[in-house]
Amino acid sequence: MVVRTLLRVSALCVGFLAAFQALAVTVTDGRGEHTFDTVPKRVVSISWAMTEDVLELGVEPVGVADIEGYNTWVVRPAVPEGVADVGKRTEPSIEKLAELEPDVIILSNGQEGLVEKLERIAPVLFFDAFSEEHDNAEAARQIYLELAKLFDKQALAKKKLAAMEDQFADLKARLHAHFGETLPNVTGIRFFNEAVALVFGANSTVQAALQNIGIEPAMPVPESQWGFAQRKITELSQIQEGILLYFKPAPGVEKLFASPLWQAMPVARASRVAAVESTWSYGGALSVGYLAQAMAEALLTIPSQ
Amino acid sequence: MTATAALDRAGSAGLQARVSRYILVSLALLAALVIHLSLNSTLTLADQWSLILGRAPETFEDFQFIYAALPRVVLAMLVGAVMALVGSLLQQVTQNPLLSPMTLGASSGAWLALVCVSIWAPELKGSWGAWFAMGGALVSVVIVLLIAGRSGLGGLPVILAGMATHILMGAIATTLVLLNQYATETLFIWGAGDLTQTDWTWVTWLLPKLSIALLVLLVAPRPLTLLRLGDAGAGARGLSTGPIIAVLLLLSLWLVASAITAVGVISFIGLITPNIARALGARTARDELHFSLLLGAVLLLLTDSVAVQASSWFPDLVPSGTAAALVGAPALIWFARRKLSARDQTALQLPEGAARVGRRVWLLAPATLVVLVLLTLCFKPDAFAWTQPWAALRWPSELVLSLRWPRVLTAACAGVGMAVAGLILQRLIRNPLASPDILGMSAGATLALVLYTVFVGGSIHEAGPVLAFAGSGGVLALLLLLGRRTHYAPGIMILVGISLGALIEAIVHFVLAKGSDQAFAILGWLSGSTYRVSDTKALLFAGGTVALFLLALTTSRWLTLISAGDHVALARGLNTGRARLVLLILACALCALVTAIMGPIAFVGLLAPHVATLMGARKVWPQLWLAPLAGMVLMIFSDWLGWALLYPKQMPAGTIAAILGGSYFIFLLTRRRLG
Repeated sequence: MVVRTLLRVSALCVGFLAAFQALAVTVTDGRGEHTFDTVPKRVVSISWAMTEDVLELGVEPVGVADIEGYNTWVVRPAVPEGVADVGKRTEPSIEKLAELEPDVIILSNGQEGLVEKLERIAPVLFFDAFSEEHDNAEAARQIYLELAKLFDKQALAKKKLAAMEDQFADLKARLHAHFGETLPNVTGIRFFNEAVALVFGANSTVQAALQNIGIEPAMPVPESQWGFAQRKITELSQIQEGILLYFKPAPGVEKLFASPLWQAMPVARASRVAAVESTWSYGGALSVGYLAQAMAEALLTIPSQ
Repeated sequence: MTATAALDRAGSAGLQARVSRYILVSLALLAALVIHLSLNSTLTLADQWSLILGRAPETFEDFQFIYAALPRVVLAMLVGAVMALVGSLLQQVTQNPLLSPMTLGASSGAWLALVCVSIWAPELKGSWGAWFAMGGALVSVVIVLLIAGRSGLGGLPVILAGMATHILMGAIATTLVLLNQYATETLFIWGAGDLTQTDWTWVTWLLPKLSIALLVLLVAPRPLTLLRLGDAGAGARGLSTGPIIAVLLLLSLWLVASAITAVGVISFIGLITPNIARALGARTARDELHFSLLLGAVLLLLTDSVAVQASSWFPDLVPSGTAAALVGAPALIWFARRKLSARDQTALQLPEGAARVGRRVWLLAPATLVVLVLLTLCFKPDAFAWTQPWAALRWPSELVLSLRWPRVLTAACAGVGMAVAGLILQRLIRNPLASPDILGMSAGATLALVLYTVFVGGSIHEAGPVLAFAGSGGVLALLLLLGRRTHYAPGIMILVGISLGALIEAIVHFVLAKGSDQAFAILGWLSGSTYRVSDTKALLFAGGTVALFLLALTTSRWLTLISAGDHVALARGLNTGRARLVLLILACALCALVTAIMGPIAFVGLLAPHVATLMGARKVWPQLWLAPLAGMVLMIFSDWLGWALLYPKQMPAGTIAAILGGSYFIFLLTRRRLG
């Protein structure tokens, strides 16, 4: 009897300990390992890509930087009503942050200098999401998984990532059904004006999304931190066989397309140009899925040869 | 008899020289054309020629030649020629070799207008953007001309007015850009000045608007020639030059605004070309206009060739404006170093102030500072309501206090540093216009830091004071070198400031045009923010500022003697040469320290000593105490305003200070009397 009670008590203790152990969580960010005793409840995210990841994990942050800009440019997933705006991403309001009493503040590129300051308010995680040194798409995935660990949402994260893989496979199959055995090479751009464009290349989320659906780049752009380079429109004539996708909004593009120079471009002559619905191209892990979806839909509008 | 023969011979020799000069520049134009076309097109010259003669284009390279390479060449020639023509006209009208569309602030007006349209009415930008830019350019030039007034056109006042307007509008535009990062992104290529073309649209847009230039060429020479005789001489010939000049100015404004609208900010061509034309021997008014026109086309073609070639070396596009500024800034200093001598001792009449510092000022000024600091620490912007303004005031929590004091301390130190540096320079050069930002010392430090981050990499916030000192020191050395011969006339110093400023702007726009986030970090830093200063940095900054301030106090006797005049100083046994050098280095150190910690701060160095004088500090000692106080109040107030106005969005203190100070400076210029 006594032994059984003792056994029960000790089992309970072990259970408590185990439960407590499970509550403490260690995550690795760009600066090293950080241990949290409990799952952080009050989250503030300063970077848009991190905001996206947090929302994708089903966590509602208490504060986000530049909500208006996020809703205009990143768009999805939307920031829920009632989340506090903490100011600009480069200089979030310290007073506002202190007032929110967060359990964790999440930063990424462009906010390197803020770590020391914000650490006084709450533990800070800094993720180096975009770097010339690593594969941005893989890094985005790792960061997403780390955050999932932090918020104890690993199952959800794995499910969403797996769903994204399925989506890639599905898109790939649809593209093959449309274009046949070999898929065309594709390059994505964003028009700056009628003469200059940003061309997405190695280490961009755009190219990563394309590669995930089995498509190779149509023109080489060397690897860089953000994965794009600024080029004159005339340099797009390098694309001989492939397809050119451009992201909306592209003001003034009708005028460019009507010009004789554009019409002499190999891609324009072959009518292998299509517009992609406005999609954020510097986002988190799941934005690669949105990009792939949007670009695949644009590609399907182009008749196969 | 012999005299007439000599004159004839001289005349024909002059004519010969002129003819050969024009032949040479025409050949240069042809050469520049060929160079530019061969860099920007892969076709052979024979192929290019056959296309020009009307062969139908077939390959993409053919189309590229006809619709990209050719319009670019034509546009470069047109814009270069018009900029140079207008520069020559302005310089002849005003007899001021430093006047140009750039120094009149035309580009900043257009830039501000475009930024505003992109943010608040993006749907209008596509079809009406050009007209907004033109309107902005016209408005800013008219403002500058009004500020300078007729009497100010010949000297520094107009350049100062241009610079003040430029900084003021630039500060407003930067604030807007920082608050609306992505909406303004596509503007940056225009801001950097790029000639890349994809069809003939801009050429056909620009050509009719520039046809007025022919009218200018026909009408201008006669009144300009008469103007050289002076207003009185022209009046004696029965010609009132006033109305004609006014019309000519208006026409040239129109020309400049059109050119800027088409290609963006390409500075220096209009400023340097007429100077080169004169150096090469253009004497008469007509000759200078014509020769500048041709030379401008050659110069812009060559600079743009550099841009075209550089674009193939770098992963990103190199805009023409960047190339023009890189070539132009040193050239400007070179050409004008002799032109600005002691003649330009323009002084500003400061507003009358008290004769001495009253006891009340000594009590009130520190009290204001204390109240302001308390307000900054205790104010809570989101609790503010007009009905109950007191509700927003409450003692901050320990955490907020610990995060806020470094900001206040940094702002205060920056105010002190700039005020003392400005005071020293104003006393030293004996000109109330002197200030470290106007004389290019801040610009030197800024340039060093910007170049470092752009070419070496890393965050601009991390780049250390050593670099800033190197930059400021470089400018100081340049000023000493140039200034010795001109007796430290403000003209040459201001010129260095303007050139470096334009150079920095071109480089920043180049980085911005690449569209990376690094650019916004630089832009944020350039607007002078206290946000990122850490506790240790703030304390070190305070220590450095106090040390330099104490050092400045010990030099008060030198300052008194030097501002009384060199002969007085010499008579009292002061080695003026050494004292000057020490004081200049002191000012430079203060300025570099502020710039390294907080970024460039405009106008505070000018404003603070003036405020001290207004309060009655006419002697050095009280001014040395009151000017830093004024600087502190201004900077802390700017920091508070930038923080509280759009809470939780923040605006950098430097921008607010530039807007406040710039407005005061313009006010000062409008009530200027020539000294």
